[in-house]
Amino acid sequence: MSGVSLSKMTKRYGIVEVVRGIDLEIKPQEFVVLVGPSGCGKSTTLRMIAGLEEISDGTVKIGDRVINEVAPKDRDVAMVFQNYALYPHLSVFENIAFGLRIRKVDKKVITQSVNDVANTLGLTEYLERKPADLSGGQRQRVAMGRAIVRHPKIFLFDEPLSNLDAKLRTQMRAEIKRLHKRLKVTSIYVTHDQIEAMTLADRIVVMNDGRIEQIGTPMELFNNPVNTFVAGFIGSPPMNQLNAIVNDVDGRLVAKVGNSLITLPKIKALANSSNREVIVGIRPEHVLLQASATSSPIAIELELVETLGSEALLHTQIAKTPFVVKAETRFGDVSHLDKVTTLHIEPDLIKVFDADTGMALATAIQD
Amino acid sequence: MQNIQQYTSRIMRHIRAEWQLYLLLAPTIIWFIVFLYVPMYGLQIAFKDYSIFKGVAASPWVGLEHFYTLFESEQFMRAIKNTLILSGYNLLFGFPMPIILALGFNEFTKAFFKRTAQTVVYLPHFISTVIIAGIVMSVFSPSVGVVNLLLVQMGFDSVYFLVQPEWFRPIFIGTGIWQEAGFTSIVFLAAIAGVNPSLYESALVDGANRWQMMWRITLPSILPTIIIMLIIRIGNILEVGFELIILLYQPSTYETADVISTYVYRQGLQNAQYDLAAAAGFFNAVVAFVLVLTANTISKRVTKTSLW
Ligand SMILES: Nc1ncnc2c1ncn2[C@@H]1O[C@H](COP(=O)(O)OP(=O)(O)OP(=O)(O)O)[C@@H](O)[C@H]1O
Ligand SMILES: [Mg+2]
Repeated sequence: MSGVSLSKMTKRYGIVEVVRGIDLEIKPQEFVVLVGPSGCGKSTTLRMIAGLEEISDGTVKIGDRVINEVAPKDRDVAMVFQNYALYPHLSVFENIAFGLRIRKVDKKVITQSVNDVANTLGLTEYLERKPADLSGGQRQRVAMGRAIVRHPKIFLFDEPLSNLDAKLRTQMRAEIKRLHKRLKVTSIYVTHDQIEAMTLADRIVVMNDGRIEQIGTPMELFNNPVNTFVAGFIGSPPMNQLNAIVNDVDGRLVAKVGNSLITLPKIKALANSSNREVIVGIRPEHVLLQASATSSPIAIELELVETLGSEALLHTQIAKTPFVVKAETRFGDVSHLDKVTTLHIEPDLIKVFDADTGMALATAIQD
Repeated sequence: MQNIQQYTSRIMRHIRAEWQLYLLLAPTIIWFIVFLYVPMYGLQIAFKDYSIFKGVAASPWVGLEHFYTLFESEQFMRAIKNTLILSGYNLLFGFPMPIILALGFNEFTKAFFKRTAQTVVYLPHFISTVIIAGIVMSVFSPSVGVVNLLLVQMGFDSVYFLVQPEWFRPIFIGTGIWQEAGFTSIVFLAAIAGVNPSLYESALVDGANRWQMMWRITLPSILPTIIIMLIIRIGNILEVGFELIILLYQPSTYETADVISTYVYRQGLQNAQYDLAAAAGFFNAVVAFVLVLTANTISKRVTKTSLW
């Protein structure tokens, strides 16, 4: 197994830089997920690794070999495309066998390998069918099979599940995870679905506007986003962000949001920061409905309660800013949530970001 | 009775609801009626002893007499033979050419070259057949034609191409290809443009070279288009380029050049044997119709692609 290492990797179309010098070390056998909003350069990054786009600047290494100038076929990578890219005129068997046939692998070996892969993916009974006669999930599996059968060093996935409905997506997600556990092939997976990122990744790379915002394990990103962008991207619903002004009330740091005062965690960077403008980040699941010994109350206007079953989302406003709360229902009953007028916030669960740069001021929770 | 009424009222309602579409369709339908269906009334003269003075309706029926005359005529049999041979060659050499051109254009990576090359091969299509024939005549002229000048330069005797029956077929087929292959290739280029680009990318990652991509992706992907074009072509197999033949042939080359349509033209318009010409034309149409049906049915069975 090989790792992949990107150094200052850049892509320019004319004078437009769409990938702006990415540094990333991917360890052998690691499953890395690239997430970010549409157009941030995820696909371009992946395609440069695959050799489908020229690299404008910087280097890409697979293992110890610089592959900037290596033809795609000699990079020993396999790619799964968003639209599956199955050959409509070939049967499932021939689709999976395509890469082997091109490489003139022995016929018996091809039959054996394709059957093995079909077996792994539960495609055995569909081998004679054409892609048009398969369901979305089955097509997705054929696309996976085509990648697996070649035993590449690296798997590249470009939003492989985004054409599936929610239920199938969950199922295929689990299947990909299982497959990776078994095959242990280094994988780079592009998605803009942060749930996919959280569930699949060993490490997540959050990208924005051609740059990497943060690299870390799913929990690192969830607990300690380095800036407001990552905070707003990871988690569902994402972290609430309130503009606030720091006040010193009797030696205790509080954030003034509208008319409410929220006690802030003890952060070094905030010492002597009276009147400093900050952004207070609070995750929807970290809000209390009942006061605790250390929590501070905050007045809200409740707009809407959305029931999800065991949980409900409270859409509220704090000082004219939308604020979402995730709360438990009582076995589906939300009558107690309809009357909420005050929320309680635990200082230790608050993130504070600089209002100008959006950077996290420090990490309050260590893990 | 009530069923029919229900049916008509349903159709009327449909037309009222979708009248814009029918309005758009109207010119085509009218064209078909006026120029194709109304003239069919006159087809009956193929079975009549037609006299201009008596008119179509009053001329007496003669049954299949004209057809007997035709099939006993050596000239007509020769015309059928020539039609089939010319069409056969045309299909054999003329059909693959646009496909090859399209595949070739597709391999150009520089847009400028691609555009230039395409324009160059499209051009002859926009030249009128009369001028094409003129060009052909002057190119193959025995005294000033480029071809003969070259032949003489290389020490051969000059050849009187256009009066020798054995040269008619190659010249006719070659001219047809030169004139239409480029333009017809547009259809195939459009089909190629419709192939999902990620198929190529996927093949590239899988290790395919350009040649393999052409054989394993491009060709199979445009196969339905190729088949449709082939069906149309087979349906038209009896319609060899009438104008070009009329313009290029001469009595000395009738032996290889006279085809059904030129025969019909000579009998009908030059010899005023309208009924005989109508019979020949009718025969032509029936055979063409059967050919289209057959090609379509075979294609439907074999490849699941068909015109209807
Ligand atoms: N051939 C091209 N010429 C110019 N700009 C391009 C080209 N291809 C992509 N881009 C630009 O590069 C940027 C990154 O595109 P990319 O496809 O990598 O985005 P992405 O992160 O994969 O987005 P999505 O989630 O929508 O797939 C986009 O702004 C896009 O407009
Ligand atoms: Mg993309």
